[in-house]
Amino acid sequence: MQRRSFLNFGLAATAVIAVAGGGLALLHPGLEEGHMTASAKAVFKAVARGVLQGVLPAEHTAQEAALAAHLVRLDDTLAAFPCATQSELSQLIALIASAPGRSTIVGLHSDWDAASDADIQAAMQDMRHSSLAMRQQIFHALRDLTNAAYFADPQAWTSLGYPGPLAI
Amino acid sequence: MSQLPDPIREGLARGWKVLGGAHQPLPSMLHCDVAIVGTGAGAGITAELLTKAGFDVVRVEEGPLKSSTDFHQRESDAYPSLYQESAARKTEDKAINILQGRCVGGSTTVNWTSSFRTPSSTLKFWRERFGLVEFTDDGLAPWFAQAEERLNIAPWLTSPNENNDLLRRGAQKLGIPSASIKRNVKGCWNLGSCGMGCPTNAKQSMLVTTIPAALDKGARLLTQTRAQEFEHASGRITALVCVPVRQDGAPASTQTVRIQAKHYVVAGGAINSPALLKRSHLPDPHGLLGTRTFLHPVVISAATFEQMVEGWSGAPQTIYTDHFLETQAIDGPIGYKLEAPPLHPVIFASTLPGHGREQAEMLRQFPNTHTLLSLLRDGFHEQSRGGTVKLRSDGSPVLDYPLNDFVMDGARRSFLSMAEIQFAAGARSVIPVHEQAVPYTSWVQARSAIQALAMQPLLTRVVSAHVMGGCGMAGDERHGVVRADGTHWQMDNLSVHDGSLFPTSIGANPQLSIYGIVNKLATQLATRLNGRAVALA
Repeated sequence: MQRRSFLNFGLAATAVIAVAGGGLALLHPGLEEGHMTASAKAVFKAVARGVLQGVLPAEHTAQEAALAAHLVRLDDTLAAFPCATQSELSQLIALIASAPGRSTIVGLHSDWDAASDADIQAAMQDMRHSSLAMRQQIFHALRDLTNAAYFADPQAWTSLGYPGPLAI
Repeated sequence: MSQLPDPIREGLARGWKVLGGAHQPLPSMLHCDVAIVGTGAGAGITAELLTKAGFDVVRVEEGPLKSSTDFHQRESDAYPSLYQESAARKTEDKAINILQGRCVGGSTTVNWTSSFRTPSSTLKFWRERFGLVEFTDDGLAPWFAQAEERLNIAPWLTSPNENNDLLRRGAQKLGIPSASIKRNVKGCWNLGSCGMGCPTNAKQSMLVTTIPAALDKGARLLTQTRAQEFEHASGRITALVCVPVRQDGAPASTQTVRIQAKHYVVAGGAINSPALLKRSHLPDPHGLLGTRTFLHPVVISAATFEQMVEGWSGAPQTIYTDHFLETQAIDGPIGYKLEAPPLHPVIFASTLPGHGREQAEMLRQFPNTHTLLSLLRDGFHEQSRGGTVKLRSDGSPVLDYPLNDFVMDGARRSFLSMAEIQFAAGARSVIPVHEQAVPYTSWVQARSAIQALAMQPLLTRVVSAHVMGGCGMAGDERHGVVRADGTHWQMDNLSVHDGSLFPTSIGANPQLSIYGIVNKLATQLATRLNGRAVALA
């Protein structure tokens, strides 16, 4: 069995920043009062482009609108989580939003905004099959949250062929 | 919105004593005969029996009071309002996602209605290993029969939906016996929305049965109020301290509510019940509290068919097979029960493996997707000791459940059994829900691929909707947190009446085990406390 390593983004962050030679001041929380900060939105918008490829509208304006609506739903989803979960997610996002964390942990070498869909998918795929439990945990957190928020929207149901609940 | 009658709104209009949240304000002090923590399966049965016996009962529920008017059959409404941690409760290493209710009615408000008596083989194990000598089939039969009568638990006579019928047909082709699952419903519309709260009040959950019965007899209900800790002295509980909470579980104010009672019953569900006892620093001389917490770890196999399956439609989990439980020793390699769960967009999309175009292709097959799940029977072997409930720095609980090789071997055998049944039923392709898997187009291909999968946590998707143990019963204090009658071994006026009582997993969906066993414990508690004989039905 794989050696278990628990999620501890505080420790991981300290290590990453130490390696990168910066200070902890480089990290900005991912959530403030339960809501996404600008850096969190940049991360999740990019993740959505990768995870939802083939589901998102292909045309640019329509895709931007779908992503904007997705981020609002995701923000609602995160705001409903208990404090302990929010705190963990806030640390996770802070870590992967920072340039050293993005590069060493996610394996993405350009800014989240600038990364291509293919770059993001390659990084996600690498975390998915990583031998480090922490990278696998990050893959699951990003993927699951993205899918949960996107497919909560009745407009997304058409791509699933789901007619919605029966009116009663 | 449902236009049907809503018995909860009607009861509130009649003047039920509901406090907390948007209801009547919480006082700083309350006195009663019996304080019950929780409103789920165990709490509901206990409250009905004790109010019938004439006791003044107060119940404390950390979730909100929602009812059929609020149940819109939408996952985006249901998960944040009705489930623990927005339906994203996870074990400490994030390898298992746990679905557990957190609302008035507890998990009974959101469960999928599957009703089984505790299997004989489980009871035999409890008698032999935990000294629970009274837990025999014959001894428990009348208690189960009463619970079945009270909650309308009966065979489901409507034809299974295609998702379930595929399990029946696939198993039949292979000569594997399957059978129908009894359900606790009355006038069910066969919508398939049980997991989001029953919009027609057909499901005979605690929300529409025992809770209204107790409220009609004058019991008080504190909603959005968390049981924070017990105060105790000289082997007795002296008070229960509670705090008001918001829907997200954060404290709503600095107020506290102290409840003083003659007797206290903890029934907040496994994980939460041992956590309350831990926060209260109750004596635990043998280090058992929170240990042996079981999950029936679940793995999933998804198959696509030529025909529409529409797994969202129709009653969930109406067919099962116990073939892989009954064909091997209970204390041998881990056995498993197979069922067919309901499928809805959020749970489906967030459970499948992969991402990007690979996932988009699977999502497009949603209407033609059939899914089986395998419930692994944990707790019957030296190498299946379940998990341990711990407290975070803020006092909230987290379960550490190691998925070791013993358990994961059962997961691999489950993948094999499920894929074989799905191909026998005519599947075009089958994918075990595992990050290394892809859709396989034949049983031969699937069999060799599954044998090669790395059966590790986080690669294998593992979920659970059955949390059991952590305050286990035993015939002697070295092996249990509570006695065979549910009272705490070290605290005279404290009982545990929920799934945390179970010394192993059940090996079947646990709701009827909780109803039946708590029916026995609560009926006997009423008699012990005031000598009055009451009966659930």
